[in-house]
Amino acid sequence: MSARLFPVVRALTFVALALVACAIVFQLAGYPSAGMFAAIAEGAFLAPHAIVHTIRWAMPLFITALGVLVAFRCGYFNIGAQGQFYAGAITAGLVADALHAGPPVLVIPLVLAAGIAGGALWALWPGLLRVLSGTDEVITTLMGNFIATLALAYVASGPLKDGSGSGEVAAARPVAEGFRLSTSSGVSFSLAAIVIVVGLLMWLLVDRTAFGVLGSLAGRNPVMVVWQGARSGRIAIGAFLFSGSLAGLAGALELLGPSGRLLSGFAPTLGFGAILIALVAGLSVSAAAVASIFFGGLAAASLYLPVIAGFPAAAIDIINAAITLLITARAWPAKLTVRAWPAMLRRRTATTP
Amino acid sequence: MSALACDDVTVTYGETVALSGVSVAFDAGRIHAVVGQNGAGKTTFARVCAGIVRPSSGALTIGDEPVPVGNVRASRACGVELVHQSFALPPSFTVAEALEFGSTRPGGLVFSRRALEARWRAHLENLDVPARLSDRIRDLPVETQQGVEIARALVSDAKLLILDEPTAVLAPLAIDRLFARLRRLNASGVTVLLILHKIREVLAIAETVSVLRAGRLVEALLPREGMSPASLARAIVGSSDVDLAAPIALEALAAESERVAAVHLSGVSTRAVLGGPALDDVSLTVGCGEIVGIAGVEGNGQRTLVDALAALAPITSGTLRLAGHDVTSAPLLERRGHGLRIIPFERNIEGLSLASALWQNWSARLLVVGRLLRLIDPPRLRATSRTVLERWGVRFGSVDQNAGTLSGGNAQKVVLAREIDDDATLIVAAQPTRGLDIAAMAFVWRALSEARDRGCGVIVISSDLDELFDISDRVVVFVSGRIAGEFRPPYDVRTVGEAMTAAHA
Repeated sequence: MSARLFPVVRALTFVALALVACAIVFQLAGYPSAGMFAAIAEGAFLAPHAIVHTIRWAMPLFITALGVLVAFRCGYFNIGAQGQFYAGAITAGLVADALHAGPPVLVIPLVLAAGIAGGALWALWPGLLRVLSGTDEVITTLMGNFIATLALAYVASGPLKDGSGSGEVAAARPVAEGFRLSTSSGVSFSLAAIVIVVGLLMWLLVDRTAFGVLGSLAGRNPVMVVWQGARSGRIAIGAFLFSGSLAGLAGALELLGPSGRLLSGFAPTLGFGAILIALVAGLSVSAAAVASIFFGGLAAASLYLPVIAGFPAAAIDIINAAITLLITARAWPAKLTVRAWPAMLRRRTATTP
Repeated sequence: MSALACDDVTVTYGETVALSGVSVAFDAGRIHAVVGQNGAGKTTFARVCAGIVRPSSGALTIGDEPVPVGNVRASRACGVELVHQSFALPPSFTVAEALEFGSTRPGGLVFSRRALEARWRAHLENLDVPARLSDRIRDLPVETQQGVEIARALVSDAKLLILDEPTAVLAPLAIDRLFARLRRLNASGVTVLLILHKIREVLAIAETVSVLRAGRLVEALLPREGMSPASLARAIVGSSDVDLAAPIALEALAAESERVAAVHLSGVSTRAVLGGPALDDVSLTVGCGEIVGIAGVEGNGQRTLVDALAALAPITSGTLRLAGHDVTSAPLLERRGHGLRIIPFERNIEGLSLASALWQNWSARLLVVGRLLRLIDPPRLRATSRTVLERWGVRFGSVDQNAGTLSGGNAQKVVLAREIDDDATLIVAAQPTRGLDIAAMAFVWRALSEARDRGCGVIVISSDLDELFDISDRVVVFVSGRIAGEFRPPYDVRTVGEAMTAAHA
């Protein structure tokens, strides 16, 4: 029992410590920290419609975080969720635009599939490079983010550009109204249903398949699974594909849901938020659901702070940064470190036979 | 009155003649043994008798009644039952289910678990098998599994019980218990036909001995009285092999005896690996039931040998056969499928994932087999691994605790529990006692000896010559990736030591 609770206690401790550190920073910067936290809580949960905003952000964060945690569990540090999210949005947008006159029952699944395929492809090439030539996926997936960001800007302002708009922002033509899964609120039953189904499927994958358990063994000791005869290349490619698919799906849902159109640089912090959620959740699917609500709340508050409460939105960045610093610190006593982290670093030094 | 008579039985597999003109009549009510070397046709003979193999020609009779050949149902209906060499009970069944499975006892198609157990309780108790009817077969020790097999065979009023190499899987004490059980059965009227290959065992139990050599019955129903180990050995091997060299089978025989070698390296060369020289034209055969020790100054090819066996160092020339299968270029997973098990050099890196739960460490060997996306049952894997680890005497609290929390000796027991199983044909133990205390060392040596006694081939690599001399049936010395000498007991530390260092000069 205590072994199960321990990661939860540890994550909560990290977050609490981060908030304490932020309080000090706020105070030093001349803002009342109590007022700041109250405003954040209002923006996240208490104000009218705050909870809708929170859920709107929690859903794509959760789906993307699931992808990140699958890769991390298998020991692959795919930090390209943002790029894979954009890649999925682009392919989904192209399909939605090409089939804009089609029946929604057919087109919506096709658009979602296109998003999954786009995200998967954008994770596949770093995966192949990693398996075939040992190229560090941290570098390749990070670079992939920039390429995908520029590709999105190109598609939104080029082939799919909305001719009727003012032209100030690179924005694509809106998708057909019939394809939308939600209004711009980003919350609907269909979106929620998809998120819940995906969450359950990923729990099955991680906890109840040979891939999930073998992958987590490989993530902690890749040499040992090779000595057991595991086809570690397949595990790696699987990890990258699942990871990219989920980010790509989130991209497609963003397109058909709240956004309604491809927009250059939309949801720019989603990928890194997802990485943070995966780490805070200790790479557990159920904990990621809870953490997504928390970080979804912070995202909602970052709009609320400057507009309603008159505080700088940078407060949210500071909180995110503080949590990132603490959760990734390696100098903690052995019992407190995120379990996956040391193994990931060890993998880089271990000699693969 | 004969329990079973064979009349001019011949079995051919393609070009190979497995049995040639065998005629023999086993008297009812006695304990008979059929012996012979590996590949002499013993198992084929047992299978013909049980109706599993259909002979190319010849007939079977019981009493005066002819029995249809190659028909298991007919043979079982006549009271002939076979206990296989490698057990054939489904491992996931409970004992009660296993007894019901394939039983010919009349009555009922649908049972509750309780009714099924009630149905078989008396049968199991009569036979004194130390298992509960609700136990799963896979959770039982090998000896008890065999007891259940015998109980299964006796379900339907068997008159002739055939056991194919029943001692191969048993420890010496368990063999005595098996023989006692067989004598009790015999006293109650069951004729027993044993396929054996160890002379000591034959002399301990058989009333008559028949000898197969290269598919021919060269001695039929010799009485046990007046037989000496030497005379029996002569009968098995043949006074002169040349006169038997009927065109059949010498080649087929050679192929077959090679098949029973646990591993056969022939002229194997590799590239160099990290921390070791390349293997250079290494030829080494390890038989089933043999421990071969690899001696050598560290860094003389021991690691390369293990890597080559594990398919982690590619073989550039030569061939590698595992239990008769050519696996020269097969990946490790396929080799494991043929029974290769490895206790690697680096327990904490290659053997275990210290930051993973015990049950995951133990289950890894099962998880690597089959499709990656198949569903698994973690609660059951936890339960099974708990049972197995307890049986191996691992001291642990919960199977969810990390392997890194165990002491070195306990951690090594986890590796043993995973790598030494009933399907193992070759166990490669690389420095298996490094860093262990005396009690844990003794445990490891005992486990390897028991595996050998069950018929596994074992390769042990150790830098401690005393240890190697204690356990090995044969010691091979490696120098610079070559075999520099081979020694048999009694070992002389000085000559072995000279071989280890001489080639440097």
